[in-house]
Amino acid sequence: MKKNYGPVYVAPLTGWLVVFFAIPISIIVYYSFLKKGFNGGVMHEFSLDAFRALYNPTIFKIAFNTFWIACASTAVMVALAIPASYFMARSRHKNLYMLLVIVPFWTNFLIRVYAWMAILGNNGILNSTLISMGLMHEHIQFLYNTNAVILVTVYTYLPFAILPLYSTIEKFDFSLVEAARDLGATKFTATVRVLLPNIRGGITTAVLFTFIPAFGNYAVPQIIGGSDSYMLGNVIARELTVTRNWPLASSISMALTALTTLGVLLFMRLNRSSMESARESATSAPVKTPQSGTGATA
Amino acid sequence: MKGSHVAITGVEKYFGDFHALKSVSVDIKKGEFYSLLGPSGCGKTTLLRIIAGFEDPSSGAVLLDGQNVVPVPANKRPVNTVFQSYALFPHLTVFENVAFPLRLRKMENAAVKTKVQEFLELVKLPKEGKKLPAQLSGGQRQRVAIARALINEPSVLLLDEPLSALDAKLRQHMLIELDAIHDKIGITFIYVTHDQQEALSVSDRVAVMNEGEVVQVGTPFEIYESPSDPFVAHFIGETNYIGGTVTEVIGDKHAKVDFPDIGSLFVYQDKPLAVGDKVKVTIRPEKIRISSDKPSALGDQMNLLEGGVDELIYSGFQSKFFVRVSERATFRVFRQHVKFFMDEKAINWKDRVFIWWNDNDGYVVEVEKP
Repeated sequence: MKKNYGPVYVAPLTGWLVVFFAIPISIIVYYSFLKKGFNGGVMHEFSLDAFRALYNPTIFKIAFNTFWIACASTAVMVALAIPASYFMARSRHKNLYMLLVIVPFWTNFLIRVYAWMAILGNNGILNSTLISMGLMHEHIQFLYNTNAVILVTVYTYLPFAILPLYSTIEKFDFSLVEAARDLGATKFTATVRVLLPNIRGGITTAVLFTFIPAFGNYAVPQIIGGSDSYMLGNVIARELTVTRNWPLASSISMALTALTTLGVLLFMRLNRSSMESARESATSAPVKTPQSGTGATA
Repeated sequence: MKGSHVAITGVEKYFGDFHALKSVSVDIKKGEFYSLLGPSGCGKTTLLRIIAGFEDPSSGAVLLDGQNVVPVPANKRPVNTVFQSYALFPHLTVFENVAFPLRLRKMENAAVKTKVQEFLELVKLPKEGKKLPAQLSGGQRQRVAIARALINEPSVLLLDEPLSALDAKLRQHMLIELDAIHDKIGITFIYVTHDQQEALSVSDRVAVMNEGEVVQVGTPFEIYESPSDPFVAHFIGETNYIGGTVTEVIGDKHAKVDFPDIGSLFVYQDKPLAVGDKVKVTIRPEKIRISSDKPSALGDQMNLLEGGVDELIYSGFQSKFFVRVSERATFRVFRQHVKFFMDEKAINWKDRVFIWWNDNDGYVVEVEKP
C-alpha cells in the first residue's frame, strides 16, 4: 500500500499557522474577556467591560468611517484595475506592464507612503508646482483628510486588484465579445453583458484582496489621515500603546475581524446568488440550477 | 430568396507589412452556399472578418445588395457569424445564448420564448435550453451557435470553419444538416474552410484562395475537374501532375503531348494549343484503371502505360497504388473495391501492372507558349 504523506506535506504550514495565527488570535480572544490592568497589561479576571466599551458612539462613528473608506477605496481600485488589466492583457508588452505594476513593491511600504507626503504636503511638489505655474496663490490642504487616505490606500493596494483581474482577463476568450458585437451589441453592452460576467471570479478576488487590507488599514491613516479619517486600526494602536487598555484593543480587534469575515461571507453569498439569477435571467419557469456534472448526450 | 447579394470589390488588407488580401473580388449571389477554401494563412478568415465587420479593409468595398457596408459597425450589419470556437457565452444557458440578440432588442418575453424554441427546434435541440454550454457535446454546441447566429434573421450567415472541432463522422452529419438548414432558410451562406471535402460537398460555388488571392471560382465540379491553376489542381484532391510538350493537335478536342520519362499521351484540349507549347497536365488517380493483365481492345486514343507497384495502401473501400512507370515517374492510381476483393484479381506489392485512361481525362492546367 502507498504511504500517505499528506500530513507530512502540510505540517510546516500547519505549524506556521498555529504559532503565528491560531495562538495570537487565541490570546487576543482571551485578553478581550479580561480586566484592564492598572498599569497597562491585563488582570486575569473575567470581565465583559471591553465589550461594553465597544457600545459607544465614537467607536461606531470610527467603525462607520473605516467601512466607508474601505468601500470607497475598493470601489476606486476595482474601477481602475478593470480597464488597466484589460489594456495589459491585450497589449503586446504584457510582461513589461506586469513588471511596472510590481516594481513599487521593491520599495518599503512606509517609504512610499511618506513619499506621498512629499508630493501632497503644503510645501510639497504638487502645491509648489501649482503655485509656480500661477494657477493659485495659496497652497491647498491636500493631506490629513479622508480623500488623502483613500488616494494613498488606492495607490498602495491597487496591484492587489490588478493581479487577479489581469490573470482572469488574460484567459478570457475575446471572441465572445466579437460574438456579442456580431449579434447586435454595442461595445458598451458587450462589455457589461459578456466581459464582466465572465471575469466575475477575478472581480471577486480583487474586491476581497483590496477590501480586507483596506478595512484593517493602520499606517496610511496614521501618516496621511486627519481626525475625520481615523480608522479602527488606529484606535486599536492607541488603546494598545497610549491608553494601554489591552482588553479594549483586543475586543476592537475581534470586532474588526468579525466584521471583515461577515462582510466577506455576505459578499460571496450575494455574488453567488446574483450569478445564478443572471444565468437564468429570463427563463421565467422555475429552473433547477444545473450542477457541475456534464450531461453530454450526443 | 431572403438572402443578400454580396459583392467584394478590390479588397486589400495589410497587417503591418503583411499583405493578407491582394485585391480580392468575389460576387456571391442571393441565397448561395458559397465557400472560401484555402490553406491556413490564405486570407479566407480575414475576408470573412471583413464581411462581418471585425476588420476594416485597407481599401476596397463590401457591398450588401449594392450598398457599401464598410463604414457600418459589426453590430449594425445584417450579417451573423458562426465562430470556429462557437464563442457561446459560458455564463448563460443555451436558451439565453440563443435569446441574446433578442434581449438586446428588448423583445417581449413571450415572443422571445416562442422564437428561441423555434430556432432550437430548427437545430434539433428543443430540450437543451436549460443547460449550460459546458454541459453540451461539441456537436450540440455547434448547433446552439448556429441557432444563435440565425435568430436575428440575418441576410448573410458567415461560418468560420464551423466543423473543424468535430470528429469526422459528426462532421459529415453536421454538413448534411447545414445544407438542410440552408435549403430551409434560404439566406446566403459564406462558408470558410480549409477542408476541400467539406467545401466540395455542400457548396453551390467555391472560391479557392491562396496567399491572399482568389485563384479560382467555380462549382465544385469545375474546381475539381478543370482546375485553372496548378495550386488548385494540387490543393483539391489528389492528382498526378506532369509537364510535357505538345507534339500534335488532334481536332479541336485533343492533343498529343510528349512527357519526358513517360512517353506520349493523349490529353483533353479545352484551351487553344499549338505544337511546341509546354503544358502542365493533371490526371486524377480515380480515372486511371489498373490491372495485372494487359487490357485488350482499347480505343484509339486510350493512354496505356506499364509499370511496377512501388507502394500500395489498402483503405477498405479503395486501394491506392503508386505505380512506377520509369526511373523518375510514378502515377497514383485509385481502385474502388466495387466487388468483394476475393473476386478481383489481387495486385500485390512489386507486381507488374498496366494502367490506362481516357484521352479526356488528362486536363491541361497551364500552357506556356514557346
